[in-house]
Amino acid sequence: MTPRPIRGLYDAAFEHDSCGFGLIANIDGRASTWLVDQAFAALAKMSHRGGINADGVTGDGCGILLYRPDVWLRGLAREAGIAVGARYAAGVVFVDRDPLRAAVQQKALERCLREEGTRPRGWRDVPVDDGACGPLGSATRPCVRQIFVDAADGADEAQFERALFRARRRARTELADDETFYTVSLSAATIVYKAMAAPGHLREVFPDLQRADLAACAATFHQRFSTNTLPNWRLAQPFRLLAHNGEINTIRANRTWMASRANKWKSPLVEFSDLGALVSPDGSDSQSLDNMLEVLLAGGIDLLAAMRILIPPAYGAQENIDEDLEAFYEYYALHTEPWDGPAGLVICDGRYAACTLDRNGLRPARWARSADGHIIAASEAGLWDVSDEHIVAKGQLGPGEMLGVDLVEHALLDSKAIDRINAARAPFKRWLRDGVAYLESHLIDPGLAAEPFAPDVLARYQKQFALTREERDVVLKALAEDEAEATGSMGDDTPIAVMSRQSRSLYDYFRQAFAQVTNPPIDPLRERLVMSLVTQIGQEGNVFDLSPENARQLMLTSPVLSQRKLRQVLALTEYAERQRKFDLYHDEHDGLQRALLTLCRDVEDAVRGGVVVVLLSDRHSTPGLLPIHALLATGAVHAHLLKCQLRSDCNILVETGNMRDAHHCACLIGFGATAVYPYLAYQTLYDMNRRGELRGREGEAPSEIGRSYRRGIRKGLLKILSKMGISTIAGYRGAGLFEIVGLAAEVVDLCFPGTPSRIGGATFADIESEYRAQLAAARDPNYALPAGGLMKALPDGEFHMYNPAVVGALQAAVRTGDVALYRQYADAVNTRAPSALRDLLALNPQSSPIKIDNVESAAAILKRFDSAGMSLGALSPEAHEALAIAMNRLGARSNSGEGGEDPARYGTERSSKIKQVASGRFGVTPTYLVNAEVLQIKIAQGAKPGEGGQLPGHKVNALIARLRYAKPGIGLISPPPHHDIYSIEDLAQLIFDLREVNPTALISVKLVAHAGVGTIAAGVVKAGADLITISGHDGGTGASPWSSIKYAGVPWELGLAETHQTLVRNGLRERVIVQTDGGMKTGLDVVKAAILGADSFGFGTAPMVALGCKYLRICHLNSCATGIATQNDVLRRKHFLGAPEMAENFFRFVAADVREILATLGARTVAEIVGRTELLRQIEGVTVKQREVDLAPLLETGVRDSGFEIRKETSCGARIPSGELALRIAADTAQHVADRKSGHFHYAIANTDRAIGARLSGELSRRYGADGAAHAPLTLEFRGSAGQSFAAFAAAGMHLILHGEANDGVGKGMAGGRIVVRPAATARYASQDTTIVGNTCLYGATGGEFYAAGRAGERFGVRNSGALAVVEGVGDHGCEYMTGGTVVVLGRTGLNFGAGMTGGFAYVLDLERQFVDRYNHELVDIHRISLEGMENHLQHLRGLLRSHTDLTGSAWAAKLLADFRDVLHKFWLVKPKAASLDALSDELRRAA
Amino acid sequence: MSKKDTFPFLETRRALPREVPVPIRVLDYREIHGDFANGGAGDQAARCIDCGNPYCSWGCPLHNRIPQWLKLVQQGRIEDAATLMHETNPLPEICGRICPQDRLCEGDCTLETGFDAVTIGAIERWTTDEALRRGWRPTLTAPATGKRVAIVGAGPAGLAAADGLARAGVQAHVYDRYEEIGGLLTFGIPPFKLDKAIVRTRRGVLEGMGVTFHLNTEIGRDTAFSTLLRDYDAVFVGTGAYTFVDGALPGQDSTGVLPALPFLIANARRILGNHNSQAALPQMVGKRVIVLGGGDTAMDCVRTAIRMDAESVTCVYRRDEVNMPGSRREVKYARDEGVQFLFNRQPLEIIVDGNDVCGVRLIETALVTDGSGRASPQIILGSEQTLDADVVILAFGFRASPPHWCDEFGIARDASGRLIVGADGRLPLQTSNPHVFAGGDAVRGADLVVRAVLDGREAAKSMLQHLQLALLQRGSDVLAPA
Repeated sequence: MTPRPIRGLYDAAFEHDSCGFGLIANIDGRASTWLVDQAFAALAKMSHRGGINADGVTGDGCGILLYRPDVWLRGLAREAGIAVGARYAAGVVFVDRDPLRAAVQQKALERCLREEGTRPRGWRDVPVDDGACGPLGSATRPCVRQIFVDAADGADEAQFERALFRARRRARTELADDETFYTVSLSAATIVYKAMAAPGHLREVFPDLQRADLAACAATFHQRFSTNTLPNWRLAQPFRLLAHNGEINTIRANRTWMASRANKWKSPLVEFSDLGALVSPDGSDSQSLDNMLEVLLAGGIDLLAAMRILIPPAYGAQENIDEDLEAFYEYYALHTEPWDGPAGLVICDGRYAACTLDRNGLRPARWARSADGHIIAASEAGLWDVSDEHIVAKGQLGPGEMLGVDLVEHALLDSKAIDRINAARAPFKRWLRDGVAYLESHLIDPGLAAEPFAPDVLARYQKQFALTREERDVVLKALAEDEAEATGSMGDDTPIAVMSRQSRSLYDYFRQAFAQVTNPPIDPLRERLVMSLVTQIGQEGNVFDLSPENARQLMLTSPVLSQRKLRQVLALTEYAERQRKFDLYHDEHDGLQRALLTLCRDVEDAVRGGVVVVLLSDRHSTPGLLPIHALLATGAVHAHLLKCQLRSDCNILVETGNMRDAHHCACLIGFGATAVYPYLAYQTLYDMNRRGELRGREGEAPSEIGRSYRRGIRKGLLKILSKMGISTIAGYRGAGLFEIVGLAAEVVDLCFPGTPSRIGGATFADIESEYRAQLAAARDPNYALPAGGLMKALPDGEFHMYNPAVVGALQAAVRTGDVALYRQYADAVNTRAPSALRDLLALNPQSSPIKIDNVESAAAILKRFDSAGMSLGALSPEAHEALAIAMNRLGARSNSGEGGEDPARYGTERSSKIKQVASGRFGVTPTYLVNAEVLQIKIAQGAKPGEGGQLPGHKVNALIARLRYAKPGIGLISPPPHHDIYSIEDLAQLIFDLREVNPTALISVKLVAHAGVGTIAAGVVKAGADLITISGHDGGTGASPWSSIKYAGVPWELGLAETHQTLVRNGLRERVIVQTDGGMKTGLDVVKAAILGADSFGFGTAPMVALGCKYLRICHLNSCATGIATQNDVLRRKHFLGAPEMAENFFRFVAADVREILATLGARTVAEIVGRTELLRQIEGVTVKQREVDLAPLLETGVRDSGFEIRKETSCGARIPSGELALRIAADTAQHVADRKSGHFHYAIANTDRAIGARLSGELSRRYGADGAAHAPLTLEFRGSAGQSFAAFAAAGMHLILHGEANDGVGKGMAGGRIVVRPAATARYASQDTTIVGNTCLYGATGGEFYAAGRAGERFGVRNSGALAVVEGVGDHGCEYMTGGTVVVLGRTGLNFGAGMTGGFAYVLDLERQFVDRYNHELVDIHRISLEGMENHLQHLRGLLRSHTDLTGSAWAAKLLADFRDVLHKFWLVKPKAASLDALSDELRRAA
Repeated sequence: MSKKDTFPFLETRRALPREVPVPIRVLDYREIHGDFANGGAGDQAARCIDCGNPYCSWGCPLHNRIPQWLKLVQQGRIEDAATLMHETNPLPEICGRICPQDRLCEGDCTLETGFDAVTIGAIERWTTDEALRRGWRPTLTAPATGKRVAIVGAGPAGLAAADGLARAGVQAHVYDRYEEIGGLLTFGIPPFKLDKAIVRTRRGVLEGMGVTFHLNTEIGRDTAFSTLLRDYDAVFVGTGAYTFVDGALPGQDSTGVLPALPFLIANARRILGNHNSQAALPQMVGKRVIVLGGGDTAMDCVRTAIRMDAESVTCVYRRDEVNMPGSRREVKYARDEGVQFLFNRQPLEIIVDGNDVCGVRLIETALVTDGSGRASPQIILGSEQTLDADVVILAFGFRASPPHWCDEFGIARDASGRLIVGADGRLPLQTSNPHVFAGGDAVRGADLVVRAVLDGREAAKSMLQHLQLALLQRGSDVLAPA
């Protein structure tokens, strides 16, 4: 288990995990062996949620936590000859396999235990069966020992647990460098066994667990899926208290802030000060959360409160929340920040066993209660061997809900009960009312508004802070005028900051982190309700000290201040004496670094002296002094205060001229600012308004322009947070969620410690000299504002790699087919001043050249070329088809993008071989999926990773609308996350689903380069992908906010090299084809990519330019003058001059170019050079900054020790085989399908039978296209609990009837047929109160019918564009993004119904009269269905009720039908505002 | 497609300001374009699609911020547009009139393919005229530096340099041998292309900025160059290219054969009424005129000849129309006005009757391309022909005419007389005498006005740097290799 030193780009800190989990308990406290057996059986049924390692056997780890298995433990002790007292604890400890070392470790723990007053009674060996672990698991196995400890005399259990806690922590601190020592658990109440076992084999690993006397009344269990394969027994779960499915996105903020407030947290019950870090700074996020929970519990907060403090619901979003409860959350939010991110947790301590979900409810948690007092809660339904007649209730935890069992009082606690307990803990409401001050804009004295700068002062500041006209006219103007970020298109073809030959903003070196695969981004538009920017000012208190004093805080609605607010804060009497301004200017002779160090010391002194408000300001420039960049100052001061544990005692306010856009703001807050005041942005906007360049809002004073600007910034901030899946600014502040590209280690270490920065770059001296120049410019009246040129290629601005000369040369070459012209083009590109990272890498031949005849053919090379995903919609049909034709003729592959494909193109040379599956699921039907050689899951896009796509309404014409199942003229937005991928095991599920539909297609996953992408890629390979694309930040887009194009993702060189190195390290490289794309233009680019590890190469912009694109960057306007990125008829017809031959010429040129270079390298094939980084060497750059860049980590060759062989176009060894049931169905139906004959089949089904129906649907679609089995329906009847993705991608004529229940993803991508889910006939519970299908059902459905006699989970019918559905209740976010179809909800709906819904309609029964508060008012309106004038709706609804009753036998629906006239007025018709009632009625009439 | 889906460039056709009908415009020397109709400039400006690669800016030697000011014009912010135009171009109303836009900005306009380019030149012209008419003037913010610079030659290069210096608080003193500023702008370019009132207005603008003109003052004759070197902190030389390219045609010395530039200058002076230059101008009424050459000067000559009521005017050029150096637009105007063109003809000799010209002997040519550079004309043997003529104007081009005092002050020239600037550790446009800078045709040989303006502008920057008034340039220079 010795970790290898970090080499190259891999870093263990990037690892993620995710999983399945469960809890089973007996409410009455009756211990049983049956319960334990159930736990193990359930665990075994979740093996598909775990990952399998490179050896093909070893899992990523699983474990079980048992509550008070007293008889068994005493038995184990007795047999080992250990006598234990009445109050004792048992623990499991991993120790070194070297007995001598192990003895030292055990001694240390024993000593600590003794010193804490407990009495260690003895150790025993825990037998381990290596055979059950798998080769990797057993090779890395620690020695497992068990310890028994007696409590001190007279100690109660709480005291005993605290003593054990202290002993464990102290031993950990003592053995801090001892990686092999790890206490799995040591408690009087619970014990954990965990292992790197083959999934489902935990019990075989530990013979202890096979004993007949093993009985317990509660257990939690967990199956892990991690992105890495370097096995680590410690990270298996459950931890000492909890097991976690999901990911804590705020982990960096949580760890950092915990470290900073460690000395504040004092409990009278336990001393923390000598225990080292309270929360481990490394390991997994779940482990840190476990640490944190332990601390809270040890300090005296009980589990129900502690969990709700750590993972609160979105209490701000709830309209009817109890005020005391809200105050409970707000009170604790003043002193902690949420541990935020997808989380399903099961927890067990001495008092409670509980299950809880995060505010977004992104992880499934289904529960069931049996008549004999057992409760199970787990990632899936159907894990339990309890038949339906014994179940009294079933359900699922909603977002932010918690379910617990009081194991002492023997009570079941639902969310409401837990809320009641928490709300009653203290008079929080009164404390907050008395203590908290709110700064609301309208209450602020208008006299405090900013007065305008004089023109010369303004000009001086603008120049000093390097404002460009482009930034002013595009970025600032859009923020203030549209209250949103400016939109752009195409990619970023400028050099990254460190490569630039110009002086660039410091913020440009920072690339925003974003979630991909292991955790989902949040949807900041449609799911805004879970997000908050509330910011507080004041001193943090001691969380264990429950007192009104702790509520003395000032609250701001956002961290972006106006001048009025800033002055108001500074004027508050409370802080009048406790604030200090620090001017961000320094004496030139001091040097920037020394100035920063001085600043840090000064701030430290001030805070020690009682200063609470630290104002860092560059507002008052002094002649002769040089400015300190606000970001450097903020980062350095924040880091320094953290180190001194002073950060929580103060607030950092930043008054700066260099913050202009949301990214700048995010950088400042991400590196520690509490709030910011961007005075120069305001001043510039006032000036623009004064000069008539900017309209104020109607009826508002010009001084209110700043408010509009702030709204724009806030939206941008929410977007940036959401990309990381973070909900609140508190979880983002100080988290440093960026990758730095191009700053020297001295800068990073001082100002941004811990932030990934991998290639060095600009030093303090470089930064200082740039600022010196800017300052000089500021003083020069002749010097006008620079033009800019980061967006457009201005002649005197930043260099653009697709500048007019390059575009012209490429077009000349491909139009003529003249190789000499290609040579001119390629030479121009290859000899440009170094601009991309690869330009600093030159070929370094290791052997003599060979004859070109000996190099593989161009045809062989062309096979490695793909065109990048560009949707029909973004592109005109003409351009889209020209590209497809070109790629097909070349034997290469084109990528459909995410807009579907006209079925008329299937099977012709106009068809794209790669079909993309993106989050909007536009046009993703089973026929689409079977007409593909490659199915690409687009997780992220280079131009805007972590965000959804958008197709402006004016580009949605009749054709586009038909293919995307949408309405012409209405803009289409793809959600930021795939709503069926919230974690790595979900991706594995989608890959499985797609493979079921199309077993022959390669499954590809598209990722974007960022620090850690290699680890993600490893997880993706383990999830079963055949192909991974690593896109650079420079990828193109049809429409995207400018700040997304510019500030997220990193160059592919970094991501590719990291991916290759990580896969090789993990022994996974040979399982997958690695592709890269991003701005590749010539054969040399291709060769360099191959050497850095790519097998395959994607091209987006270059073939478009070949087809005539002139890089106009107006794709989002639909006015592309070259007819490429437009749907305008005239432009397409008359002005698209592209021919497939042009694109063909381009690729042929590049392939020939590659051959020539291969010959000079002495290589016969591309395969020979893949990953051979010794073929590259770094050359010196042309600027000082470029020379500071160190690309050695990219060229790391030491990782090639596994001697892998690159697999060619074969399928993947990691494929998860089709389930037995799916194969049986295929066999049973084969003849019927072939003969187009109807049939009726019966099967039993279990949760391990996943994506049932998809394989049949694929077969039908392949044979009969969209008709499926419409002419000869096939009925499949199932009994049991269906696994995930039941009836996914169902085709017409497939009738699937399920008696029982189903998990997540029922009917996703459904195109036709009918799904009926009804409870088992023996069920006793009321269907309308019971969850019968899981989350995200009907996601992206385009047709078909769905009836479920029960409630559905969250996000029902997201992106439904044609299916008809009747259910008896839905969770939050129902019908989100719906663009078509009909949904009937015969029961309670969750929050945010109809967000982003632009088509179709819904009928919602609202018996509780709460729907008005529960639907999203932005795009839909609701109407009563009256007897007059809405006859059509009445008839329609009644017909659907009748069908539902007939098909499901629902008693509830039958009752509603019987009382139809009485309940009719309790139904709402929910429809898009854009659709008129009349039009809807007409539609119904036509359909009838 | 609905209305909102269409775009100005699809709806609005390219349109130039009203053109004065041929029969009327040839009657005098006034400019042939009127104003845009109401709002026309805005509508035309709105056709710009604001490309990500602004090809027009790249196509403009001055890198004018064309899309940016087109947007301002579209918004009706005429003064702001004028300010922005002046940032890169001190003479926008002049470039807007006489630049061959079809070979520069408009030729590179994205819309030129398939839609017809935005009328950049006309908008530039109209906007500056309009702004000046409204009283707009450049704002000067720099405090006086006390530095003084002498500029020799009030042509476009000199004026541009003067503008740049004046804006930086440097006193610019411009010397010219003629009685009016402008150089070729005033005396070479016929008024139907550039109304002389425009130049006078610009003179007023520059004087308002503090530029001092010393006219009728020839350096080396009326004032010694050494005086300039003594009295000023630096000197800019923009003396132009007046030496005509000698075709060495037999008979070219006969009466009725005229070099183009003296002809144009004489006519300009005549129109301005400044001098009694009738003597240098032959009578054209009823005459057959042949102009040899295919550049813009040739076009100026043919169109001037038309206005002098020549009986017929023929332009003879040795390559074909496509390979003609003159602006397409000028060729069109000339044709409209009745000029005949004879392409692929090379003159062999001037045929003389007594001492008077009576025709030109020509030979046909064919263009041969060797794959590099322009096609070259090759004579087709046996294809001689004779064309009768009463007046022959030689417009083969002009060479730099370096002042005679250059050598004395160590200002190096190349073989064709062009002043050598830059390189060898010198600032851009600095001559081998470190206090002397030069630009325009004196450096380039006969070239476009816009390039002379560029030189003047850049020379001003270099001089500021030389006088240590400018800062280090931002960006790359700061970070350039140490």
